[in-house]
Amino acid sequence: MAFFLQSVLSGVLIGGIYALIGIGLTLIFGVMRIINFAQGELVMVGMYVTFFLFRLAGIDPFLSVLLTMPALFVLGAILQSTLINRVLDALPQNQILLTIGIGLVLSNTAMLVFTSDYRILSTSYSSSSVAISGVHLSTPLLYCFAITVVITGALYWFLIRTDTGCAIRATAQDREAAQLMGVDVRRMSVLAFGLGAALAGAAGALVSPTYYIYPQVGGAFTLKAFVVVVLGGMGSIVGATLGGVIIGTAESLAAAYVSSGNKEMVVYVLFLLVLLFKPAGLLGKSRM
Amino acid sequence: MKRYLPLAALLAASLVIPLWVHSPYALHIFILLFIAVATGESWNVIGGYAGQYSVGHAAYYGLGAYGAFILLNKQIPPWFGVWVAVAISVVVALIIGSITFRLRGPYFVLASIAVAEIIRLGALSWKDLTNGAEGILVSDLPPLKLGAHVITDWNSKVPYYYMGLAMALLCILVNVAVKYSKLGYYLQAIREDQDAAHSLGIPLARTKNAGLVISAALTALAGSYAAFYIGFIEPQSAFGLDVSVQLVLICIIGGIGTVLGPMVGAVVLVLLSEALRANLIAQGLFKLGLDETSPTGLFLKENLAHAHVLIYGILVVVVILFMPDGLVGFAAARLRRRK
Amino acid sequence: MSAPLLEVRKVSRFFGGVKANLDVSFQVETGMVLGLIGPNGAGKTTLFNCITGFYPPSRGEIHFAGQRIDGKSPDQVCRLGMARTWQKVRPLAKLSVLDNVVVGALLHTISVRQAREAAREHLRAVGLQARADVLAGGLPIGERKKLEVARVLATRPRLILLDEVMGGLNARESEDLIGLILEIKKRGLTQIVIEHDMKAIVRISDRIVVLNSGEKLAEGTPKEVTSNAAVISAYLGASEGAKA
Repeated sequence: MAFFLQSVLSGVLIGGIYALIGIGLTLIFGVMRIINFAQGELVMVGMYVTFFLFRLAGIDPFLSVLLTMPALFVLGAILQSTLINRVLDALPQNQILLTIGIGLVLSNTAMLVFTSDYRILSTSYSSSSVAISGVHLSTPLLYCFAITVVITGALYWFLIRTDTGCAIRATAQDREAAQLMGVDVRRMSVLAFGLGAALAGAAGALVSPTYYIYPQVGGAFTLKAFVVVVLGGMGSIVGATLGGVIIGTAESLAAAYVSSGNKEMVVYVLFLLVLLFKPAGLLGKSRM
Repeated sequence: MKRYLPLAALLAASLVIPLWVHSPYALHIFILLFIAVATGESWNVIGGYAGQYSVGHAAYYGLGAYGAFILLNKQIPPWFGVWVAVAISVVVALIIGSITFRLRGPYFVLASIAVAEIIRLGALSWKDLTNGAEGILVSDLPPLKLGAHVITDWNSKVPYYYMGLAMALLCILVNVAVKYSKLGYYLQAIREDQDAAHSLGIPLARTKNAGLVISAALTALAGSYAAFYIGFIEPQSAFGLDVSVQLVLICIIGGIGTVLGPMVGAVVLVLLSEALRANLIAQGLFKLGLDETSPTGLFLKENLAHAHVLIYGILVVVVILFMPDGLVGFAAARLRRRK
Repeated sequence: MSAPLLEVRKVSRFFGGVKANLDVSFQVETGMVLGLIGPNGAGKTTLFNCITGFYPPSRGEIHFAGQRIDGKSPDQVCRLGMARTWQKVRPLAKLSVLDNVVVGALLHTISVRQAREAAREHLRAVGLQARADVLAGGLPIGERKKLEVARVLATRPRLILLDEVMGGLNARESEDLIGLILEIKKRGLTQIVIEHDMKAIVRISDRIVVLNSGEKLAEGTPKEVTSNAAVISAYLGASEGAKA
């Protein structure tokens, strides 16, 4: 029982990260109807930023979220206004290819600059864990989850309570109508992409104490983010939050009870099943 | 027919090239080119004509490669093994098609990636059959015999050259045949407007599956050829996402839905990546006056050789933004405007 | 007396709680032009989608040429001899005008050459022969509508469903299309026409079915329908083109 509980709980903790990446993806999709295949590469950029902040300035990775997020926001906003913005009316296939291209540029630039070496960011608490009634949970993952919850909460607050947040949601619901109502949809798009990138950056910072850091690490995050988003329903932020937790748990249980080599296979099979039988996602079409 | 004259000339030239060119490196580049043309044209059948942007074609490429290698290890000669591998990919394509073709647009793209990843993970974990992440090495191919007469023992690159040329040619001819057939019209109608196509009596699933089967068979053929040529396969290089992306890139850069597009895309990508790998571009810049010992010069000399994927990425971004119909479409539009 | 070519029996179509069609019944005899009218949102296009196989009806039956067709897919329905145009035209934009029609003509042959010959004839029938080599995406709206008709004719249907084929056209273009519909009728083909312009629908229709809020409000000859009090208040009263 403790083993089961431990698997579920560490799954939930990891799931928080997946949710964060997924929310970024779904926010971008909601506002622009574009699937950002470079989402994982943005996570990778976040990881490197965090790594060097730690190595060069001694800034704790969890603290560096405060710097990584704005940095990635700027990167995202620049990508949106210079590149993505030009293909908003193009074929969806071409939009996807453009973001694949951006992803290739990001990961290979990282390879040129930082080489393809694996880097490890080890903090004093990297391998420590907390035991709660027989269940061991990794300390960095616990911190990471707590911060994830705060960021997600802040995002919900921003989207629901502020005027700008409302404008973003309005744009996601009906771009044309929002425009007619006087919403500056171009600005909302830049903002949404920036936010999506900032969330990816936050995720990158948060996982950097527990993951290897290397230029190609993004691909796996991108794929996982798709699964999360499709599971929760494209464009739904609540769905992505839930989807992240579900995928994290499924993966963790698969690793524990099937085999750790097959945990990703389980995730993809789950993904296909959802695509086929519940293409609107587990929560249906609801969108926030 | 006049449009095909340049192609015929090109074919005649490629038939005699090995008579003059003996450099193994030059032949190697031609062989890479043939592989790129073959895989690009294969993807074009389903991606270009039918507009079904599969980013999971590594599944068929890898099945071709693994199928042929595994059968060879079981003492089945390549000339049979290849076709068995192709047949396996066709069966798998039908299964994948029946699953993924129910989805449209971005959902189809995502599903195609997921299927290919599932197969890659399968290859990684089914160690008895695939040797897992370590991959399979085949160093000696049995000689190709016709009766008692040995046609080739594969000791030079020349037999690979002709085999590759034949394969690329086959893929091009199949593309031409498909494009101007009923199937080609139906696939293009589906690309342009699925509902309109459906209302004109086109059976969507059957038509797409027909296109996918052709595409998968050719991709598998190219995959097994590439595997035999390189002599080594492992899951990432056979089933990885980068393989799938590469096929798409060849077509996008050249121009999708045309016979010429993938050929142009293949030439651009192969020459570009070889030029980078051999550091020709850095040397060219030095000749143009860049100081080889300056920090920039040193950096370029050191790094450009590894940058070919980076250049692909930049190329894709530029092509999508400025010439969404690819180089061929861009050139054609320019020509039309001049007239 | 022969059986009707198309028989719609108590067809309903629901979207969630919305009743887009409710117990609609009517028959279409061979060779006639049936006008289908009703205010916006009356369920005309939904009915077309049910008849042509794009939505299965939630309830009811549809019989065509002696076969039950509800539940069949659009391509099967087309094969049985029924073809439709779209309210919002759907040209195959990157194919030439001729190739658009070739796609339709390929229903009956595997030979592209034969299909091209047939397609040229159908283009001539709608007056687009001079535009054969233009990309369909580049046509102006009037010619796109004609292209849709040519493409539909190329499938050699017995029944044609025209969804607002005159929508968005100027007076001269509409006149062209009315001529075309009457021409098609002369060939003995059966047509169901959705149209907003009352004058046009009265001129071309043998019978008219009026839908309102998804239900059949009235049915009869143009004269009967235009003098029906319920129709006048529900539809004609709200529209300005009420001079029949």
